[in-house]
Amino acid sequence: MARHKKIQAPEEEEMTSNISSMIDCCFLLLIYFLVATSLVSEKKLDISIPPPSDGSSSKKPKVDPGNIYVTKAGVVTWNEGLTVGEAYDPSLEPGTPAYLQQRQMESLVESLKMLKDQADSVDTTPVVMLHGAAGAPHQRIVDVMAALSEAGIHSVGLSTTSDE
Amino acid sequence: MAKKNARSQEEVKSEMDMSPMIDCCFLLLMFFIVNAAQITVSKDPSVNMPHAVSASEMKDANGCIVVNVFADPEIMSAKNAKALEKYNKAYAPGTIWGVADANQNSIGYNKSQAQELTDFITKQREAMEAKGVKPEMIRLYLRGDADAPWERSSGAIRAAAAAGVTNIVFGTLPAE
Repeated sequence: MARHKKIQAPEEEEMTSNISSMIDCCFLLLIYFLVATSLVSEKKLDISIPPPSDGSSSKKPKVDPGNIYVTKAGVVTWNEGLTVGEAYDPSLEPGTPAYLQQRQMESLVESLKMLKDQADSVDTTPVVMLHGAAGAPHQRIVDVMAALSEAGIHSVGLSTTSDE
Repeated sequence: MAKKNARSQEEVKSEMDMSPMIDCCFLLLMFFIVNAAQITVSKDPSVNMPHAVSASEMKDANGCIVVNVFADPEIMSAKNAKALEKYNKAYAPGTIWGVADANQNSIGYNKSQAQELTDFITKQREAMEAKGVKPEMIRLYLRGDADAPWERSSGAIRAAAAAGVTNIVFGTLPAE
């Protein structure tokens, strides 16, 4: 009887797998992805350029095209009359209220939304041309693109004008 | 005898329960794996990215041909001296467009090399099409410096259009 008991005792031990190497691997991977990932990821503004016209179509568009002008100083005007964005100030710090205010162009968004509604009502796509001065800051062009995106317009004609 | 029993109870090993920590660790790992998948666009640190109030998430970088547009070195040095240092290390003076080849080597183009930029974009487009990327998914990812003049950005867009790429993605950072 005593002999039998002695043999059974080691079999009753709990079987445990050693997971420490797996945890090591897991931590290594975690540290790798932590270092490789930057939390402030870049965003995007999608724009497509309208296909070139062969000139054969002489049809007048159903809705008058909208024109946005950006001067060298960064002043943005809508259809040559309404100023919708003041001159660009590169000294403003990102994240400050003044910087945010400069990025938002509510009156341009409103004008673009109206143009889009007009185009939608006659079942056509709105035509928008962006005329940027050669020396206009890229940030101001991105501001206009953001306004276009907010208004739901994703196709825009681009042109570069002289700085005058 | 009773004393012996008490001692044997004291000798029981105290083990820490590791399972919640492993669970947390796995969750974090998954979070970072998912986020890392977004960042497959090569980023040039010399570019001071513009900010936009309304921009969407960059979910899929597949099919993006990245072109960096640089500001003038004087503006670059005024804003970030390290950016200028990296620019000077990677590119020749006068470089306004920067791209990275398949081996992640930086290639710079100056104002008079628009045709070379077009050729580079054409090659990239053809390589992507050969890999099976749909033509509508091939896009120019324009990483323009906030202070770069528009003629440089529009030059890159013209080069892309000449290479048959008409979908443009403006790289930005969130304004808030």
